[in-house]
Formats: sequence, C-alpha cells, structure tokens
Amino acid sequence: MEYRTASETNGKHVAEYQNGFNADLHVQEEEGGRAGETETRSKLSRIQRAYSTVLTELGEDVDREGLLRTPLRAAKAMQFLTKGYHETTQEILNDAIFDENHDEMVIVKDIDLFSLCEHHLVPFFGKVHIAYLPNKKVVGLSKLARIVEIYSRRLQVQERLSKQIATAISEALEPAGVAVVIEATHMCMVMRGVQKMNSKTVTSVMLGTFQEDPKTREEFLSLIRKN
Amino acid sequence: MEQRAVQTQYAAGHGDPKKDAGSGTTCTGEVNGERTAAAASSSSSAVTEGWREERTRSVEDNEMSRPGLAAAYRTILSGLGEDPQRQGLLKTPLRAATAMQFFTKGYQEKIIDVLNDAIFDEDHDEMVIVKDIDMFSMCEHHLVPIFGRVHIGYLPNKRVLGLSKLARIVEIYSRRLQVQERLTKQIAVAITEALKPAGVGVVIEATHMCMVMRGVQKMNSKTVTSTMLGVFREDAKTRDEFLTLIRS
Repeated sequence: MEYRTASETNGKHVAEYQNGFNADLHVQEEEGGRAGETETRSKLSRIQRAYSTVLTELGEDVDREGLLRTPLRAAKAMQFLTKGYHETTQEILNDAIFDENHDEMVIVKDIDLFSLCEHHLVPFFGKVHIAYLPNKKVVGLSKLARIVEIYSRRLQVQERLSKQIATAISEALEPAGVAVVIEATHMCMVMRGVQKMNSKTVTSVMLGTFQEDPKTREEFLSLIRKN
Repeated sequence: MEQRAVQTQYAAGHGDPKKDAGSGTTCTGEVNGERTAAAASSSSSAVTEGWREERTRSVEDNEMSRPGLAAAYRTILSGLGEDPQRQGLLKTPLRAATAMQFFTKGYQEKIIDVLNDAIFDEDHDEMVIVKDIDMFSMCEHHLVPIFGRVHIGYLPNKRVLGLSKLARIVEIYSRRLQVQERLTKQIAVAITEALKPAGVGVVIEATHMCMVMRGVQKMNSKTVTSTMLGVFREDAKTRDEFLTLIRS
C-alpha cells in the first residue's frame, strides 16, 4: 500500500523483517509448525542476554534479589515500547473510515505520547494535537490516537514522528489538509547531557490547506492553545 | 550477604563497631520489622553500604566496559527488529552505553567524598528543609526512568550541612538502579550518619515510567514514599510541621 511505504522511513528494514515474519507465519499456518513462535522467543532471549551483559558491565550484582529477573522484564518492556514496528496503519484504519458530508475542521488534541529517542534509547513523552479538514471521508476518532501509537512506539526522532503521523493520515483519508503538532519533553536532555528540566521540544507538520491558508492554520493553533 | 562492621567516619566517639552497629540497626530496624535479625542487619548493611564500601566502579572501569555495553545495545537493537546500520542508529549503541553509565554514576561516588568539608558547627536547632530537589533514577526492575522530587528536612544537633550537599546525597543514591523505598531510606540514613541530627525526614514523590509508558499505563499516577527518623518519627507535631512546610 502506498501510505505504508511512504511513511515507513524508519521502518524499511523493519518492513522487510515484517514481511519475512509474515511469510514465516504463512509457512507456519501451512505446516502447523512453531517456526514463528520459536523465532520470537529466541529474539527475546537474545535481548535478555544483552541486558544481562548491560547490568554486569554497569558494575551491578546480577544475582541480587531485585535484579534476578530484570533482564527478562527489561527485554519485554523494550519490546512493548517498540511494538509499533509490528503494526501498520492499514490494519487499524481499514474499517473505520466513513463517508460524511463534513468539511469543517476536526481536532483531536492532548493525545498522550510516549516514544523512545533513537539516539540514546531514553524515553521522550508529551502531547500530540491532530487536526484535519475532511474531504467527504472522516475517520473514527480513536484511530487518530492509534496512528500516534503505531509511530510513537518505535525508536524515533520527534521530527520524523510528526511527519509520519501527518503522512499516514493524509494517505489514508485524502483530506483537504492535515496538521500535527507535538510538544514533548526529552529525557535525554533532562536526565543527562545539558540537564534542562523544563525544556520542551515542539514540532509541527502542516499539509494541504493548513500549509497554504494562514487563517486555517491560525484557527487550528488557537484551538489547541491551553486556555 | 557477608556481615560488615558498621563504621561511621563521622562518629564523634570514634567508631566502636559494636556500638555503631547498634545504632545502625536501630535506624533501619524499624522498617524491616518482619525480617529476622540476621536479615535485618544484612539489609542495614546493604542500606548503609555507601559509607563503607569501596566504589563499585571507577572512571577507568567505565572506559573499559563501554565497548561491551555498546555491543550489548547493538544486539538489543537488532533483536527488536531495527537496522543498526541506518544513519540514525549508527552511533546509538555507544551513545546509549554512555547514557546508561551516566544514569548509574552513583556507583562511582562515595558519600564521604561529597561531604567531607561541608559539615559546620552551628548552634542551630530549628528545622532545616531543602525541598523540590529534582530527582532522576532508574527502575531496577525494568531499566526505565523514574523522576520526581525529593524533600528533605532535618533537626540539627549542633552540626549543620552545606545545603547543596543534601542534593548531592540525593544524586549519589538516585543515579543507580533503584527501588523508590530503598532510595528514600538510603538518603535518610546517609544524613543521619553524617550529622547525627535530632531527626531526619525524607519525602519522595515520583513518577515511574514503567507504570506510565507500559504495563498499567496510568499517566497521572505518582508514588510517594517517606522515611522519618529520630524526632520526626517520635513527635507528631514535628512531623506535621515538616509535612506542612513541604506542601506549601
């Protein structure tokens, strides 16, 4: 599907991995074998062993009570935090696009976002505000939040994340315009490095009417402003 | 865990190990009421290890373990299905390794180095509070950040501490793989052993990313833990005064 390849700029390798995984699944279904499952489990144990190494190299005692199962927990946590790689917009959106004769702005704001900085593997979190001007097709509102989930649960850069969300909505709905604003706090700046506690990073993507018409953009920006 | 004699470098009476072991256990014994005596002493030595133990790590150790850490992170990246060769991820294993070493730099530091100079004799016996100290730690169960604020209050007994040293004590213990309960206790015990004050109170209010980003996913939840020692524990009015002052 077009929107899948266009917006998967940090998932090209993953898309191939996913295709390979899906191919394995087909094989698995046919043969009734457990190839897919064993592969997932072996990936998990590789990550687990890597975390064990991390703990030892940091100088901790891997055998103390609090750390006994930490490699497994950390591996599972990391898989959860990157589960967006295994999801596609196609799967979640297919059902919830409706034909409505509505052409006014639709905004879903204050969507909580949690992602991982791809440079330091440290979380960043914040809020996403999404708006679109429908062109005969509207989408179920929670699907906008689900699109955010798909792209945020990956190793990300905030600029790319905003663009991927905007492009995904744009390609799925073909609206008159899409706007995405993300305001996030990066733990890699707060907990380490410059250590600026209160800094926030704001990125925005304006497509279609939002880009061309300043009045539309202004309306959107004033509606998402905290009152 | 092997028993270690509790020696406090700051004991005015010059550490008689048995005597100090007694006071050490008193500080921590209340919390571990359910455990056996042996376990209680070993957990008290676990809590006060910042005082006696050699540093687990040094700057040279960091240099030497960085390649191994970076290799482990590369394995994690490929295990998650990412491509470690793409531009954004090329130097990520090294950056993540250095970041993780920074987040656990508390293992490289000892309380005695941080506090040595800044204990002063002052004839002050009113409450001293340092509040809203930003704290960043790592959950030892999921290796995911914890962040929040620490409020510390103590009633000096002729000896006061440089104020920033309270924040430095927080840094030493929080920049480790931690459990919030243990962190609170370690901070309180460290101050007690340095100053022998009439009482110490430590309150930590933190957000655990392991609860917010994954698992139950409760965005607004906060965990509050507190340790009250000495007068703060015995006298309700003192405790109340402390809690009111940190609330405002």
